[in-house]
Amino acid sequence: MTRTLALSCAVFVSCVALLSSVPRSASAARPGAIRGRVDLKRVAPQIERRPGVADLGTPAGRDLPDLLRSVVYLESAPRGAFETSEGGHAVMDQRNETFVPHVLAITTGTTVDFPNSDKFYHNVFSLSKTKPFDLGRYAAGNSRPIRFDRAGIVRVFCDIHSHMNAYILVFNHPFFAMTDAEGRYRIENVPPGTYGVIAWNEGTSSETRPATVPDGGVAELDFTLR
Amino acid sequence: MRARFARLTLLFVIGAARLAPAQTLPSEPIALASGHVTVSGDVSASFGSADPGFFNYTDYEHSTLRLLRLDLTAAVKAGPHFTLLGEIRSENLGVVRPYALYLRIRPWTTRDFDIQVGRVPPTFGAFARRTYANDNPLIGYPLAYQYLTTLRPDAVPASADELLLKRGSGWFVRYSLGDAAFDQGVPLVSAFRWDTGVQAHATVGMLSATAAVTAGTVSNPLFSDDNHGRQLAGRVELRPIAGVILGTSLARGPFVSQAAARAAVGDGHDAEFTQTAWGTDAEYSRDHYLLRLETIVSQWRLPMAVPPPDQLALQTPLTAVSTSLEGRYKVRPDWYVAARYDHLGFSDLTGAAETLPWDAPVTRFEVGAGYSIQRNLLLKGSFQHNNRDGGRLLQVAHLVSAQLVYWF
Repeated sequence: MTRTLALSCAVFVSCVALLSSVPRSASAARPGAIRGRVDLKRVAPQIERRPGVADLGTPAGRDLPDLLRSVVYLESAPRGAFETSEGGHAVMDQRNETFVPHVLAITTGTTVDFPNSDKFYHNVFSLSKTKPFDLGRYAAGNSRPIRFDRAGIVRVFCDIHSHMNAYILVFNHPFFAMTDAEGRYRIENVPPGTYGVIAWNEGTSSETRPATVPDGGVAELDFTLR
Repeated sequence: MRARFARLTLLFVIGAARLAPAQTLPSEPIALASGHVTVSGDVSASFGSADPGFFNYTDYEHSTLRLLRLDLTAAVKAGPHFTLLGEIRSENLGVVRPYALYLRIRPWTTRDFDIQVGRVPPTFGAFARRTYANDNPLIGYPLAYQYLTTLRPDAVPASADELLLKRGSGWFVRYSLGDAAFDQGVPLVSAFRWDTGVQAHATVGMLSATAAVTAGTVSNPLFSDDNHGRQLAGRVELRPIAGVILGTSLARGPFVSQAAARAAVGDGHDAEFTQTAWGTDAEYSRDHYLLRLETIVSQWRLPMAVPPPDQLALQTPLTAVSTSLEGRYKVRPDWYVAARYDHLGFSDLTGAAETLPWDAPVTRFEVGAGYSIQRNLLLKGSFQHNNRDGGRLLQVAHLVSAQLVYWF
């Protein structure tokens, strides 16, 4: 939890803190990239279904969320990063009692659609301070949107199926990337300069690590979590 | 006892409030042995007005408005076919009791068919399987599942007049035949004990069906049988579209204990004195609201002993009808409001002096609200208006209560 709070703070602070450390020649230089790998020493445990002692039978099967995906992001963004806040669209599906994807990283202003692909109701909600919302109950084939205007972490749950959970990481800059199935990531279009970089997975974040992006080049940075 | 309970409740509330921001309490079920064992818990602490009319009592000492309830639930999965499920419960820090303990068998992993053996969840009705405080939007219970009628399985009245004399005193009643000690009567359907037996459940498409053979009856679930006969119960549930659940339930079984039947009419008749219950329920939910309606009709056949000379014999069956309408609306992500209307009525019984419902009819209206401090920490408040048409105790009661609910 402490690390989660730390991440929230870091995301907020990124709006202002890094401006001072941004290289003055950034706008004239060719952007580069930061790439590397996030190695998970231990995969976070799944949230199990509560023992359904009062159920009359075995509950239906469910898909398991992909807990291997991590998010790598710049702790502070280069000058001008906040000027491009186009509100895009993203999707977090509800399928076989699982949010898909389990982790979504977006920029502020993005609208996330929450379609229900199951035959039964779900009720997506969040009590996070970043974006409290409750979409209510709606049936299969329907979708409801939520726009995220503040940076921070939004923990998403289903009010009907308590084991369903997901994360939405909202950044006020575009310098972040999700890892692939092998843990690899690549943050593109980073202006040359030295940045603090953080890796995050399931509520756990790394220490801030420095990365220097050369003019038009690529910085390599690996992380190990847990 | 009450002072100690109040102190403990306060301690729990303060402790939970302090711990909530730090989330040091578990917020998800605890998984052990690679997920083969899961343990979850429910804690609810209720504190409310004194209830001198005994409208909310589940027995002589426990009111649902002044109750600290601790539940620990576990599931042990032994392969794809077997799961052992159990729950232990303590009320007001009293004796820890096994509330549920049964083996769930799924013979074919590809079919929605299960057999459950042991102390199994109730087959009958809708509310009995969602009595946990985080499933109940209010603090009080529906009357059918909690309000104590004047009937007892282990003691029976000798006449209609004796039964009429006890109207409204189901929280502490005694009769001249059977066990002579004071004890509580039974509700139409008990939400506080589970029955013991074998249960089968199948789902095909939008239809599911459950059948069970158990030791007790819906109003008097038992661990071991106290008469010669088993209860048969069945439930059919239809889910035609998302958000709609229509259910109907039936149950019938010998209600009166062998000892009480023997005291009233002699040996060999205890299987004849049955409780027969029929229930129908409906649930509709959409967007931010949820509506539930449940009606239960219960009939008891009691032994008709030879009455004293100046009194009339009992006429059976004795019928009780309950209707409950409940609604919940989420105002905000962390706030909801809820209300429930409840009525419990009884059939007429003719005594030597007058004809009256055999127990005093009760009406309850409860309104309340819930605030989620965090996802698994809920604070509720409610107001109840209770009205009892008859009996010697307080007939109208306005009660307020608060409840803190924590679960993982």
